[in-house]
Amino acid sequence: MEIIKCDHLYKTFDNKEILRDVNLSIPKGKIIGLLGKNGTGKTTLIKLINDLLTPTSGEILVNGKKPGVESKRIISYLPERTYLDKNMKVEQILTFFEEFYDNFNKEKAIKLLKDLDLDINLKVSKMSKGMREKLQLILVMSRDAEIYILDEPLGGVDPATRDYILDTILSNFNEGASIIISTHLISDIERILDEVIFIDKGSSVLTSSADELRKKEQASIDEIFRRRFKC
Amino acid sequence: MLGKLLKYDLKWCFKPLVVFYILAIIFSIITRMIESVDQTLILLIMDKICSGVVIAMLINILINCLMRNWVRFERNIYKDESYLTHTLPVSKNKIYLSKILTAIITLFVSFIIIVICLAIVCLNDITWYSLKLSLEQSAIFLNSSPLSLIIVLIITIFFEFLFMILSGILGIVIGHRSNNMKIVKSILIGMGIYMGLSLFSLAIIYMAGILSPDIMSVFNNIKVSSNAIKSIMIIGIFVYAIYNLMIYFIGNALLNKGINVD
Repeated sequence: MEIIKCDHLYKTFDNKEILRDVNLSIPKGKIIGLLGKNGTGKTTLIKLINDLLTPTSGEILVNGKKPGVESKRIISYLPERTYLDKNMKVEQILTFFEEFYDNFNKEKAIKLLKDLDLDINLKVSKMSKGMREKLQLILVMSRDAEIYILDEPLGGVDPATRDYILDTILSNFNEGASIIISTHLISDIERILDEVIFIDKGSSVLTSSADELRKKEQASIDEIFRRRFKC
Repeated sequence: MLGKLLKYDLKWCFKPLVVFYILAIIFSIITRMIESVDQTLILLIMDKICSGVVIAMLINILINCLMRNWVRFERNIYKDESYLTHTLPVSKNKIYLSKILTAIITLFVSFIIIVICLAIVCLNDITWYSLKLSLEQSAIFLNSSPLSLIIVLIITIFFEFLFMILSGILGIVIGHRSNNMKIVKSILIGMGIYMGLSLFSLAIIYMAGILSPDIMSVFNNIKVSSNAIKSIMIIGIFVYAIYNLMIYFIGNALLNKGINVD
């Protein structure tokens, strides 16, 4: 059963096609890697799913419905930028999330914050970039969502923290939920992927089960990606 | 959900405004206290400085009220914070309505504070008497009561400022539909809406003048009849109310057609 479906999806900016005829089906309960080089349309696709952009043509369905209030209830989205009000304290942000998302688990968030030594009384403006990314990841993973969409969750963090982040993702996501991870750091996330979607020049060029692809190509996903998108 | 959105919007907008409100009231009280004692040169200088500060604060309150609402709207709807705003399980209608209600409430409170400060600084037996007298005279001239005259005046000025804020907001919505030079376009479009509709109001008054010689006297003579002023004020309230509603619905419809965040 698919939870997200893209049908002949196009997105154009100033007559430049960023996404071109994307057709995708994202199944329930899987961890999917949205893989592609920088600037190939991964983030644009994610923004379209999250109703942050409007398609030029084509259709997106989330749980059978167009993106809207209902889809936002079930999607927990981690963007690649800081989306929090920098004048707010961590505690105020937790209250904000608790007020707006029925499925936000404040206790879980507080526990994760303690694990990461993040002060609940700290203002976002006083945090380093890495701390903000960790805070946002905690907020996203503390929701009992049906879909987690993580855009470059490993982008700005050191290799040691990457493992921690991956473990946090794996040990905190709602059972039965789907996770879409967009990244170009394939070797770091390869071990957790069930499915892969390769995006190139605005189109989905390959959709496959991660194990089947490895078996078929006799190589790791990272190697297959490197071969396929060699400059 | 609207209440929750409104709570956070108001909190953000009022945070610095409250500081200016307090400062304006404090300086108004100081000015009044200085003016109430026997004047010396040093007190006179202090009086002038404090009066200047009060005037600056009052202007600051109005400008800040406009700017905070525009900045909040742009950040929440199109900039980094929009990634949170638009992923909340809330409809775009409610998000937009919350911003408009915030604009109305902040403007209303700012107006009250300005009136309070002016009353603290200026209102004494003499000014109260002359204000009452001039209001009564104006009311007789306009064939109205002083209270209804005050209400009409306040509503007209309030609607004018609200029209200014809403024009800016619609400018941001339209400006951000393009892919480049969004800020410049937002400012130009906002100003264009404000100027264009203001000129259109003049055209409406002129057209009303064709039907009513009293109103036409505004365009032909220096001396204007009481009926003309009264009619223009009523047309003004009516026209601004329509503009504000129109801008609200256009902005709402454009946002519902879909947004493209930065």
